[in-house]
Amino acid sequence: MNEQQLHDKLRATGLGGIGELESSARDPFVVVEASVLLEVMAFLRDDSETAMEMLHNVTAVQRETGFDVVYHLCSYSRHHSLTLKVIVAQPEGEAGDWEPAVPSVASVYPSANWHEREQWDLLGVRFNDHPDFRRIILPEEWIGHPLRKDYVYPSTFGEIPLELDAIPLYERDENDPPKPSEPRPAGTPLTQPPSEYSTRPDAGGRAPAPEKKGES
Amino acid sequence: MEALEMYTVDDRSDVYTEELKLNLGPQHPSTHGVLRVELSMDGEIITASRCDIGYLHRCAEKIGENVTYLQYTPYTDRMDYLASMNNNLAWSLTVEKLLGVEAPERAQWLRMICAELNRIASHLIAFGTYGIDIGANTPFFYAFRERESIMALLERPSGARMLYNYIQPGGLRRDVDENWVTDVLAFCDDFEKRWAEYNTLLSNNRIFIGRTANIGVIPQDVVYACGATGPVMRGSGIKWDLRRDVPYLKPYEEVDFDVPVGEGTHGTLGDCWDRYWVRMREMMESIRIIRQGCAALPGGEVMEKVMKKMYKTPLTPEAGEAYMRCENPRGELGFYVVAEGGTSPIRCRARAPSFCNLSLLDSLLPGTMIADAVAIIGSLDIVLGEVDR
Repeated sequence: MNEQQLHDKLRATGLGGIGELESSARDPFVVVEASVLLEVMAFLRDDSETAMEMLHNVTAVQRETGFDVVYHLCSYSRHHSLTLKVIVAQPEGEAGDWEPAVPSVASVYPSANWHEREQWDLLGVRFNDHPDFRRIILPEEWIGHPLRKDYVYPSTFGEIPLELDAIPLYERDENDPPKPSEPRPAGTPLTQPPSEYSTRPDAGGRAPAPEKKGES
Repeated sequence: MEALEMYTVDDRSDVYTEELKLNLGPQHPSTHGVLRVELSMDGEIITASRCDIGYLHRCAEKIGENVTYLQYTPYTDRMDYLASMNNNLAWSLTVEKLLGVEAPERAQWLRMICAELNRIASHLIAFGTYGIDIGANTPFFYAFRERESIMALLERPSGARMLYNYIQPGGLRRDVDENWVTDVLAFCDDFEKRWAEYNTLLSNNRIFIGRTANIGVIPQDVVYACGATGPVMRGSGIKWDLRRDVPYLKPYEEVDFDVPVGEGTHGTLGDCWDRYWVRMREMMESIRIIRQGCAALPGGEVMEKVMKKMYKTPLTPEAGEAYMRCENPRGELGFYVVAEGGTSPIRCRARAPSFCNLSLLDSLLPGTMIADAVAIIGSLDIVLGEVDR
């Protein structure tokens, strides 16, 4: 079945909240209300004609008006796929740290478990009734969600400085900048000749090892 | 005898065992990178497992939102660093889908040959390191010998040994040299003989079969439920390969190859040995594809003329979104790219096969022995660079 037939099939179920098939973008998708998401998913999985055995991918996309949560479904027995989208608009007056929430589909497709945790971790989208709702990639104590457009890279994590300049690699004297090394005269070997490895300190070589006391 | 009797306990009421928490990794050779698994042990039996990932996280998706489409290609190399060619290919196809262009025919055939060569190299690592996991050190050196030849072959057109950045949106960076195809065919002849050696060495080894058969059985419904793809899926007997079922390159429609699936040869269908054997047979199928590709390789350009013009400025696809799936050595890699008309995407999601395959582990380990945990992790063949991205 192609996307149009799948969409017709979905409309025929009588479930409300199923939008038009949007084919203006490169890949067509269907916008679904969050309230019927679980029913739609369960239908697509269990119906013998749609037979979407696998939830391939779960993604969230931050836009200026809110968040899109995108589900890519695939059928391995019927060789077709469908993209579903839940659009969560940002309510007026909400600040940048607003967290959108959609129902978790992990009860229908267990593969959503890790994907949803990743989207929570990196984008701050809440998935209600998730069986194991934790961060997955960043530490539990991390503050903020890095894939947000307004995310500011923190200067510290606990007591660990994260900025590159926080730990100086070497002390640099501003009055005495490092000089460029002198060019090597033609014909001189790269490595020093063995005579340099003299034990005498005045010869410019390595100093002799100090004598060990108390041992004989 | 008297001394022994002193320590004999008649009353066992004070003898007890308690649950032991065991950290497998993150610095453990059998975790293939930096994976930490928190195991709850009852004696030698695992009662619960909890994966901890993210040690190699570089926020590749955030980087994708800040660089141009072309600049992101080298970053895809570093996701699954054992199969860079395939990652480049998936990314290039996604961008091409967004732009609505297609690579020239010669580039498509060369792409297929390079991707299959890289698949063999990647499966060789899986084969070699799996031997080490089980306790056989020798296969690793054999595998690296052949992998070295592949890296030398891929180095000639791309200039790099592991992170190629060779396949680009619109075609290839440059054409191969004139002797390349002959050398690839020579490698194919050589590899077939070597492959027979591997089987005497490891595949049919009695100890190896004992360690892997009937271990870590994944039923088909679990494969679908957890979103496992690639050799893990095929090892459970599901005959599905994107190259055959949804060909993403034209040459895949024209070449003739089989899709090996697990058959439960030495035990239950979907055990570790089946997954291993699927990978081994896939190498030979890749050789078949490469042979046919070399024979049918057409002439012509390797980069689309339209793209050459496009590259004078950063690529700017129209607003839209594309999801592209490709059959990587480890499973189906999917790139989901959302463009809003700028020079970089606003969302650049990578659906990593290793990530999904690894999510199986927590349900697979409970009830098995600690020694089998290593065999099970090895049979999933994960690359942590791709899991953490």
